[in-house]
Amino acid sequence: MLWACILLPQLALDSVLRRREDADQPLVLITGPANRRIVQAVNPPARALGLRAGQSLATAQALAGGFTTVEHDPAATECQQQLLAAWAYRFSSQVSLHYPRALLLEVESSLGLFGPWPRFEACLRKELKTLGFSHRIVLASNPVAARMLANAHDGLAASDAELTRAALAAMPIDRLGLPADAATAFSRMGLRHLHQVLTLPRETLGRRFPAQVQLHLDRLLGLRAMALDCYLPPDRFESRLELNFDVESSQALLFPLRRMIEDLAAFLAGRDAGVQRFDLFLEHAEGADTRLQVGLLAAERDAGRLLELARGRLEQLTLRAAVRNLRLSAEELPAFVPLAGELFSARAQQQQGWEQLRERLRARLGDDAVRTVGVVADHRPECAWRSADLPATCAPGPAPRPGWLLEAPRSLPLNGLRLLAGPERIESGWWDGGDVRRDYYLVETAAGQRGWAYRQLGESRDSPLWLQGWFA
Amino acid sequence: MSGYAELHCLSNFSFQRGASSAMELFGRAKQQGYKALAITDECTLAGIVRAWDAARKVELPLIVGSEMRVEDGPKLVLLVENPTGYQRLCGLITQARRRTEKGSYRVLREDFEQPMNGLLALWVADTTDDPAPGRWLREIFGERLWLAVHLHHGHDDRQRLQDLLALARELDIRPLACGDVHMHSRGRRALQDCMTAIRHHTTVAEAGHRLFANGERHLRAIEQLAALYPPALLEETTRIAARCHFELKRDINYQYPHEIVPQGYTAGAWLRDLCERGIPTRWPAGISDKNRQALEHELQLITDLEYESYFLTVHDIVRFAREQGILCQGRGSAANSVVCFVLGITELDPSQTSLLFERFLSRERKEPPDIDVDFEHDRREEVLQYVFRRYGRHRAALTAVVSTYHASGAIRDIGRVLGLPPDQLGALSDCCGRWSDRVPSPERLVEAGFDPDSPLLHRVLTLTGELMGFPRHLSQHPGGFVISEQPLDTLVPVENAAMQERTVIQWDKDDLDMMGLLKVDVLALGMLSALRRCFDLYEVHRGKRLSIAAIPADDRPTYDMISRADTIGVFQIESRAQMAMLPRLRPQKFYDLVIQVAIVRPGPIQGDMVHPYLRRRNNQEEVVYPSEKLKAVFERTLGVPLFQEQVMSLAIVAADFTPGEADELRRSMAAWKRHGGLEPHRIRLTEGMLRNGYDLAFAERIFEQIKGFGSYGFPESHAASFALLTYASCWLKCHEPAIFACALINSWPMGFYSPDQILQDARRHAIEIRPVDVRHSHWDCSLEPGQGGALALRIGLRQVRGFREEDARRLARVREVQAFRDVGDLCLRAGLDNRARDLLADAGALAALAGHRYQARWEVAAVQAQLPLFAGIEPTPEIAVALPAPSVGEDLFADYNSIGTTLGPHPLSLLRRRLTALGCRSSRALDDVAHGDSISVAGLVVGRQRPQTASGVTFVTLEDEFGMLNVVVWRDLAERQRRVLVGAQLMQVRGKLEFADGVRHLIARRLEDLSPLLSGLDVRSRDFH
Repeated sequence: MLWACILLPQLALDSVLRRREDADQPLVLITGPANRRIVQAVNPPARALGLRAGQSLATAQALAGGFTTVEHDPAATECQQQLLAAWAYRFSSQVSLHYPRALLLEVESSLGLFGPWPRFEACLRKELKTLGFSHRIVLASNPVAARMLANAHDGLAASDAELTRAALAAMPIDRLGLPADAATAFSRMGLRHLHQVLTLPRETLGRRFPAQVQLHLDRLLGLRAMALDCYLPPDRFESRLELNFDVESSQALLFPLRRMIEDLAAFLAGRDAGVQRFDLFLEHAEGADTRLQVGLLAAERDAGRLLELARGRLEQLTLRAAVRNLRLSAEELPAFVPLAGELFSARAQQQQGWEQLRERLRARLGDDAVRTVGVVADHRPECAWRSADLPATCAPGPAPRPGWLLEAPRSLPLNGLRLLAGPERIESGWWDGGDVRRDYYLVETAAGQRGWAYRQLGESRDSPLWLQGWFA
Repeated sequence: MSGYAELHCLSNFSFQRGASSAMELFGRAKQQGYKALAITDECTLAGIVRAWDAARKVELPLIVGSEMRVEDGPKLVLLVENPTGYQRLCGLITQARRRTEKGSYRVLREDFEQPMNGLLALWVADTTDDPAPGRWLREIFGERLWLAVHLHHGHDDRQRLQDLLALARELDIRPLACGDVHMHSRGRRALQDCMTAIRHHTTVAEAGHRLFANGERHLRAIEQLAALYPPALLEETTRIAARCHFELKRDINYQYPHEIVPQGYTAGAWLRDLCERGIPTRWPAGISDKNRQALEHELQLITDLEYESYFLTVHDIVRFAREQGILCQGRGSAANSVVCFVLGITELDPSQTSLLFERFLSRERKEPPDIDVDFEHDRREEVLQYVFRRYGRHRAALTAVVSTYHASGAIRDIGRVLGLPPDQLGALSDCCGRWSDRVPSPERLVEAGFDPDSPLLHRVLTLTGELMGFPRHLSQHPGGFVISEQPLDTLVPVENAAMQERTVIQWDKDDLDMMGLLKVDVLALGMLSALRRCFDLYEVHRGKRLSIAAIPADDRPTYDMISRADTIGVFQIESRAQMAMLPRLRPQKFYDLVIQVAIVRPGPIQGDMVHPYLRRRNNQEEVVYPSEKLKAVFERTLGVPLFQEQVMSLAIVAADFTPGEADELRRSMAAWKRHGGLEPHRIRLTEGMLRNGYDLAFAERIFEQIKGFGSYGFPESHAASFALLTYASCWLKCHEPAIFACALINSWPMGFYSPDQILQDARRHAIEIRPVDVRHSHWDCSLEPGQGGALALRIGLRQVRGFREEDARRLARVREVQAFRDVGDLCLRAGLDNRARDLLADAGALAALAGHRYQARWEVAAVQAQLPLFAGIEPTPEIAVALPAPSVGEDLFADYNSIGTTLGPHPLSLLRRRLTALGCRSSRALDDVAHGDSISVAGLVVGRQRPQTASGVTFVTLEDEFGMLNVVVWRDLAERQRRVLVGAQLMQVRGKLEFADGVRHLIARRLEDLSPLLSGLDVRSRDFH
């Protein structure tokens, strides 16, 4: 067998850069706890400023200014590696992510399709370049050797065991993936290259080093095989329906849509998963697809409810062109947790659950149209309310506050007004430039309405009050 | 209008709660016409001495108290009525604090089972619905319980007042008005909000209802209070104030420990007895009349002021140290006395200095004398434990240090609670110096990319200014002890320190001074360890025991060496700045060293005093004295004020200060940067001097110089004690350089230089250095007979990075029994694990047994523990393997990696050919360069220093195979070439060489980073930013 190793020396950095338009500006990737930020990787413009991986952020800032810092996100990097594995899967059915920042591909079986190797390699390089990943590619007769040779080579094609051994022999001992203490021990014995080690009698090594060192050397040379976990493509749902005719009305799409959603529901049921979000693509004869995103607050898998939501979105849509095909793709497939329903719970058919109502409203009116009122811990009444996406978590303050707050305070004449309590003094908010200093009174109008009104601190007692809210 | 006394008030010693200092609170309370002010910090009396001082200054009675929350119980305020109550409160706080870790407390219900007489209690009810806590308190305190009525313009104060009054009636408790004061005036509202956010580790914007709704918790005008409270509630406060007649200083009963005096003696008699016994050891030929007179005078003064116990206590500690062979040396105001000399507290013969005992122990100020005793740094713990053992943990504790906010910490905390991101906080705090107490200047901020005019930054800076100088937390003093006859927790609360097995009182040094409590400083000094090791080695190799006192005085070769600035490793005068000064000052006698020690200080440089002294000393400037009286004060420093004592004398002689006032001036000098407050002294000093016929310009200049002393002004008494150690270390370096280098390395870490630099210096002084070798090396470096009777220094195993002391000791022990046969014998007999074996092989310590370090590593890897079954059977011989020998460069890298130095060629000598090709001269080839010539040099960067005082100059020390060179990098070059300056390990510098008075600098014009030439070499630069 022949193995190719694609080493991605700056995977984390590339993952960031390929998403940025200003990739030619100095940028560093940082990591570490807040009190000890370390530069993890730098792009070439940043390198030109003297910045290096391993520097503390403080040192970097002392050396240069005007560079962008991006927080290293291991999860995002992992995601990119998965993406690359999926990409590589097209070229070989044996793809392994055994080593971090590297892809191993068994290529001998694929040579018939993509070969010979130089062409295959060129193809890989071209696509990787397009994807925006810097890389090194090495071919060797076993996966371990391919990986380790990639530490020192790019473009090496050791196409049989003989060539592989020769290439390995010239390798520095500390680049071979040996356990760190063994590599150090070798170099402290003056053994800097593998060929020096290979000339030593086997039993002298056995006496001095743990068995795993010999094992690793044997694997490198292909004397013993290593079991590799092979990559399997992820589970996702994708379905495409060719309509065979142009559909001009969204109503006419409902039927095929129902089929697709039923398929989705079946698929979800088989995996015991729900769907949190799915995309509906309406493909047109020309031009980009129309995309409808259907998002849910909680994972769901009931076909009827999913269809209801999709239909809500679809009905709002004005078709800009006839639809040829329909595609549905669902990637967020979390485990499904059913609502704990009681055995004999009798939910009246007509009565809709709050969640369903909310989702329905969101589907009909748009995500932004349905908001919740949040309470904010702030002494200033006008800052104590906020409309929010999520249900507020903060408890209201200790003192009673009017349920209805006016958009803006309005002046309230004093005549006929009774002051029931107060003044309650509020002085707060200096930090955001909105400092208030007011004395609040509970007032009752001649009509018996109870309101909440204030006067600026320091204003005279007969100056008017400002009404800020009504008590219900 | 009724009178009012505030009975519930926090100062800034309720950390992260109180937003005003005691002085601000008392000033304000006095101005508002309050009758008295209680300081009731939360479960602490750490701020009470400051409160007492403030109360005294504004002449408003202080009531001592404390607020605390009982676990699962009510919150209450305790007020001290009389001395018994004070002791109870100290005990209660001590209990609560000792129960838990540093910084927190736990008051339990059971704590109130003991009698509470002497304490009054105010119940701060959480709710008016639950009378149970009130009933419980009523049972404990009886008629000494009140209900605190806080009215702060809350939601409905009228209702709240009615509810509270009803509660009081129901329980038959008297209600009274109080303010729950957190700040002296409403203007501190923002700072108080910030402190709340700091306490909760959040931002002000997110602190929400944890912030107070308004700024009412300040010392309100009595009219405002009268509008809120019924008169009876206000009057009640003054009744309580009248009841509390405890006065802190008068009523705490401190006594020195008694047991230091044997039965049958009075303290005075015992002190005299010890002195008389000491005389023959100090003056075998008998005491001179002058010294006898001084001794009698001192003893009389000590007796009059009742300080016998203090001297006896210090003597007792020093005696213990001496018995254990721990070297120590006293310094400080009272240390340079005949009494301390004959008691053995100091080795400094008082006749060598011109210090007058009375200056420091004045009759007028009944303040405890101050003696600091330095002990060997690695054995100080033994002394600390002795003190704890001798007096018991309940009677001895460490003093506290109040950590206060400096600019950088304050700006960080304020910035954080105002929501600035971490990197900006870092940049902001970098704009402040490390210990600076000034808000960074707008220019500095602009430079760092901030806009000082933005509202946010404006807020940050204003609040930072307010927060600076505030206490943050209590920590432990490294060695300041308080010892008393009675249990300490009857005098002051005691709490746990961060370190296990340590207890700390809640007062710091200044508090103790003010309260007249005895404090003994047990400090640590690395040089004493080094000197003791010198004496030990001297005894072994020269057959005679030396001591600091026995070192020959006035030794010409020693002073010649000092004048050459050949002082690497000696005490105090080894720094770059000191070494630059030595050839100009050229010390010739002991007192010159006293001056030398004091002269290179941040203070005197700022105050523009060094150069006048040097100019006068070198006859470049005429020595003039404004008057005969001042001649007596300044003659020993040629008319230039260098010491704190001189400033005090000047104030006395020229401006009619009393000694007490002069001492006050000294204290203000030390603190003016933090607290200001020099203005009254300036007026007083200037007026006094004018009155005595000095001209205004002179008075102003003197005052500027006093300010220049800042916090660094060095007392002559300390300088003299230090100079003695300086002289002793110089003498040893001059006459016994091998012993000195050996002792210094064995005492490391200490001082300014790394072992590598010390060894290089030794080699330059022709001392033979022998490599680390398992056949000869001990843990410590040792001395072996060398050529021609000289001593050779054998590098010890301690220099092998990562090697463990116990392995080294075991190795040396089994070697005593029988020399090692081979590597296997060594590893097995000395019980070395793989790590230890590898370290020895890499260090080259096995060279004699196994050949070069590669071969050694190969050999040790093969050593296997022998199984008992095969004991005696020789292992089958292996096929011999030929390994490559290390190159010179490889050995060099390995040497630096393992032992941090090399006995082979200096790295630069390996690079010399390439450096010469680059046009670099060696430091040796500079001797024939003229002043002002342009040259290029290269060297390892072994030091970078940017002194605060030297306006943006960076000093870089370069080292090559011949020595060191100082490079001066001016600010604009440093800015332009920051990367090279900060990053280079091997630096090439082009610039202009300058000479002056035997000092050589290279003024840099261009820097070049040559580090790639050295890749892999581990020479750590020591940065002192």
